Amino acid sequence: MLQIKLTSVMVEDQTKALAFYTDVLGFEKRMDFPVGEYRWITVAAKGRDDLELALEPNANPAARAFQQAMFAQGIPLASFQSTDLDADYARLHGKGVAFTMSPTVAGTVKVAVFSDTVGNLIQLHQPL
Amino acid sequence: MLIAPPTFRRLVRARELLVSEAHDALTVRAIAAQLRLSPFHFIRQFAAVYGRTPHQLRTQARLERAKRLLAAGTPVTEVCLELGFSSLGSFSALFTRWVGASPTHYRRSVQVPRNVAPVVIPGCLGLMAQLPRNSREATRL
Repeated sequence: MLQIKLTSVMVEDQTKALAFYTDVLGFEKRMDFPVGEYRWITVAAKGRDDLELALEPNANPAARAFQQAMFAQGIPLASFQSTDLDADYARLHGKGVAFTMSPTVAGTVKVAVFSDTVGNLIQLHQPL
Repeated sequence: MLIAPPTFRRLVRARELLVSEAHDALTVRAIAAQLRLSPFHFIRQFAAVYGRTPHQLRTQARLERAKRLLAAGTPVTEVCLELGFSSLGSFSALFTRWVGASPTHYRRSVQVPRNVAPVVIPGCLGLMAQLPRNSREATRL
């Protein structure tokens, strides 16, 4: 049986990304060690062992071009589920996070979108 | 903070101008004026979205250009002039502060001999293939 245990976002600066994804978003670091000139870094939701997110370098020019184009079009590259989107919005807003969409009901979910400061727009969603 | 769609589009445009060689002479204030944003709000919103001030992002972009030129074998003084730095000293000091090695040292360390194929930059999950054996057990926190 195949399981989905790992996914990734490309980031402009792995050190800054780790700080943002842990200190600001509240994920916890699972792995962090050097691989060549980069690092293998994963984070996960606190106390959960279901899925890890790798913070990959966007050093490949093709990766960077894709990332920047999607960002410029306002398209998020990942979505994290929230159990209380309004509370998470208020918490992140209070920490100075820049949102491009405040909590908005869209059919069966409520969504919001913010910049992760390392090159991506990230969506938050809460099933209604 | 909440960035309205028109402001977001202006910030994206500002980023394009800041990293573009052709617009290197435009000051941050001039970019803000061109995009009809107050300099104060522009800098604050830009930093929240991109994690760096406009000035920092431009410096980083210029140094990335410097790194590419140095890696291609361009002499340090030529890179300095090409990027419009007024003195070799200021270029060298700035480069060393951001990159962690002097331009001369960096140039020597990254130059690839002409007859060697360029190494593909590892991306995405390709990094996993390079993980040491048993890393999961050894490093899981």
